[in-house]
Amino acid sequence: MKRLLLWLLLIAPLAAAQPPFAERARSAIEFYAHRPNGGYEGIAARLYLHQDPAWCSRRLQELLAAGPSGDMFWMFPVTAIAYLDRGQLTPAARRALRRAWKTYMPYRGDTENHWVMYYASLYLMAQLWPHEPGTEWYTGKSSEENLREARHWIESWVTLTTTRGQGEYDSPHYMAMYLIPVSFLAAWAEEPAMKKRASMMLEYLLADYAAECLDGLYVGAHSRVYERQLVEKWANVSSDFGWVLFGVGRPLEPVSAYMMYYLVGAGAGAEPPEILRHIASDRSRPYTHYERKRTRNRWRFYDELHGPVYKTTYVRHEYAVGSDQGGVLQPIQQHSWDVTWWLPDPRGVQNTFFTIQPYSSLRELQTYFTFGPDAGVEGVVQSKPTYDSPDKLLGGSPYEKILQDQDTLIALYDIPPGTRFPQVNGFFSKDLAEVREDPSGWIFLRGGEALIACRPLEPYSWKPIVQGGRRLFSPYLRNGVVVQVAAASEFTGMDAFRRAILALPLEFRLDPVPTVRFRSLRGRQLAFTWGQTPTVDGRPLDYAHWPLFGGPFLESAVDSGRLVLKYGRQRRVLDFPSLTVRDEQAP
Amino acid sequence: MRPVGLALVFSCVLFAQYRLYTCVMNSKNYVVGAKLPPSGLFFEPPGGGWTHAGFDHPYIAALDYDPRDPSTLYLAAGNGLIRTSDHGRSSWRILTGDDVTELRDLAVDRNAPGTIYFAHTAGIRVSRDGGNTWQAADSGIRRKYTESIRVDRTRSGRLVAGTEEGLFSSQDGGRSWRLAGAAGFQIMHVEQSPTDACTWLAVTQQGGAFRSSDCGLTFENLGRVGVHRNLYDIAFDPAAPGRIALAGFGPGVVVTEDGGRTWQPRNHGLPRADVWSVAFDPAHPGRLYASVHEEALYVSEDAGLNWRKEGLEGSVVYRMLFVPEEAGR
Repeated sequence: MKRLLLWLLLIAPLAAAQPPFAERARSAIEFYAHRPNGGYEGIAARLYLHQDPAWCSRRLQELLAAGPSGDMFWMFPVTAIAYLDRGQLTPAARRALRRAWKTYMPYRGDTENHWVMYYASLYLMAQLWPHEPGTEWYTGKSSEENLREARHWIESWVTLTTTRGQGEYDSPHYMAMYLIPVSFLAAWAEEPAMKKRASMMLEYLLADYAAECLDGLYVGAHSRVYERQLVEKWANVSSDFGWVLFGVGRPLEPVSAYMMYYLVGAGAGAEPPEILRHIASDRSRPYTHYERKRTRNRWRFYDELHGPVYKTTYVRHEYAVGSDQGGVLQPIQQHSWDVTWWLPDPRGVQNTFFTIQPYSSLRELQTYFTFGPDAGVEGVVQSKPTYDSPDKLLGGSPYEKILQDQDTLIALYDIPPGTRFPQVNGFFSKDLAEVREDPSGWIFLRGGEALIACRPLEPYSWKPIVQGGRRLFSPYLRNGVVVQVAAASEFTGMDAFRRAILALPLEFRLDPVPTVRFRSLRGRQLAFTWGQTPTVDGRPLDYAHWPLFGGPFLESAVDSGRLVLKYGRQRRVLDFPSLTVRDEQAP
Repeated sequence: MRPVGLALVFSCVLFAQYRLYTCVMNSKNYVVGAKLPPSGLFFEPPGGGWTHAGFDHPYIAALDYDPRDPSTLYLAAGNGLIRTSDHGRSSWRILTGDDVTELRDLAVDRNAPGTIYFAHTAGIRVSRDGGNTWQAADSGIRRKYTESIRVDRTRSGRLVAGTEEGLFSSQDGGRSWRLAGAAGFQIMHVEQSPTDACTWLAVTQQGGAFRSSDCGLTFENLGRVGVHRNLYDIAFDPAAPGRIALAGFGPGVVVTEDGGRTWQPRNHGLPRADVWSVAFDPAHPGRLYASVHEEALYVSEDAGLNWRKEGLEGSVVYRMLFVPEEAGR
């Protein structure tokens, strides 16, 4: 408790001035080093700080004697301990650790973050214990075979990610499960190419977050997010990375063990290059950022293993608007679009607005998992109870299509009759400063310094949300919302904003499919029909040339394997085919 | 993360000539990364009491054995295709690499024991050298997800595979395939009759059961049994040629005594009619095992008319297999 209080004292005056990076990092590690009865994370933190090695050995043996569990979530902590040992552990503790990699078979898992953790850990342990026969490994393979297999998978993953995008993209929680193992590889891989590849990949992953970072909050569409963190944006692990690495926002209370593992792995190299800090923190000018990602592996119902994900994220100091194109791109935890507003202190605040069609289906699960038909939905609901619930707020829908241009967004719904939950749900936060239902059909909202206009295309009613706020409920099969956001500073008040919105030409019809024509507040003519390519100022959106990254801060063409970080005239080029990093000045 | 809510346990009952291995997961609410209760490969030694052989693993979907040495087992697992010796108690080795995941089924060619096929999330692979090297063997199958595969025990290289789009047959060891039936249905399992090599049965998601009487070349629907429900397993009674049991959710255990013309539910004594797998004991005519979802393994001495609990409580046995104690069976 005393440590927690010290931690709170450290972060309390954040708004005034952030402590320097080294102090932020050390405080995160020390928190775990000083917790009584810590687990693997306590051992790793103490070993990093060279504190209490006798306790570390004793505790490690206790934990291993109790039986390893957790699969790849066990592998990466003990990998960290093995490399942080540096002569501190007793021979008996070291033997116990070694033995565990013979007697415990971690499951490799079924998703990208599992595999990164699994193979990065296996690579490093095979490197640590070379020339050992298969009888000494749970895989039955020799150290060299394990190393070769792990290297091959890691190289393939890096190539696929840097050419076609991440599959489990932009998760404000699972980002840690990529950064941790990659930081381990960057710190401890002995092969120069692997070390270089990993250090570049660390920057790549951090750049991916930095460009969609609003004072530490990970904004934009997500492949995976948890329910509380969906609406309470600060509560994501990304807040720790924003605060520790870039000095923005506020960390979790206490900072997560994931952050600590990243820091003990990245060590002296934990502080990102200056250009990344600028990208993460400079919100002096509004910008639109584009990304292309992949779907998760689609085992069934598709000819192609991966489909494209087209992301658009508009960011300015006051708010962000982010989206994908709609559809089921990921199972269960996909979040397709929202408005997130900035607050000086977002802790405990539900600072977001969005709508969804609450879709759940065996087909979705069988697309991405090996579930049998009777184990799928039931199995998911055991761990994620709202998955098959009509009031849910999380998940993609095949019946939702989205167009975004800057801070204007149109979401259209064409829901077939007989769909399990044939409705649109909208999340209206308890923390909205103002909500006005206008006779025009528009709803005007204010969250922080963001003014939000939302035009549901069909009638709706309100339902309470247990955790606070209200749910817009619109039970019409052909439906949609038009959303326009602006900064409060652009208008003298909500009335002026209302007048400006009502002056914008809006035409829509719902049959035979939803169609909207809208002139945005930014003067752009948007035309969008469900199931057709949208147009902006008469030009169809060019999905074929959607960049892997595009915008003022990041630039990467699909299949190039080359990412350019940009800030002012600074350029930092990560070239994966040649494994080189180049710093340049733009003319 | 993969919520499963099920458990794979392989159990094994030792009889005079055969040993029963069962494959089930032993955990409710399991997700990847959570603590896993004992799961994987189990057998029941002659004195009774289930024995866990080898590693804990949350995902073992099926097994087969080497006919030259039946104590050598092959496991279709989440981590790949695993070979183990001494009835699963030693020498575990993952024979596949990083390019396949979440295997669904496997089959060893009885007439070419070094040839092993497995079905996985992205198709079918074959090894013709005992698992040292692997090649894709799904050319001609458009949608690759394959749930089940069997090789004809009387003819090397003759295969039937159950995919997400129906049943496919190959006459050349998986080099080419043609649609054999059940088009549009997801296949859950395929089996060949132990008494008539040209009779095959397949069960599906929602589409019922399908039968082949021409050695797996074509399959036809078997009527109403299991239609609009999901069937997961098939067991032929080697001692009674007309007797077949099917397992499913909803139907529970259904048995025919006349080769599939009529079917009777046989769930009296089972706690629920949600059954993952069934197996007839080749050494004890009429003895039938059934795995009831997250309840236990049950056994019947009269082909399902009456049941009693046989251990593995709380588990789900995805697949069971009687393996001969000696080579050549």
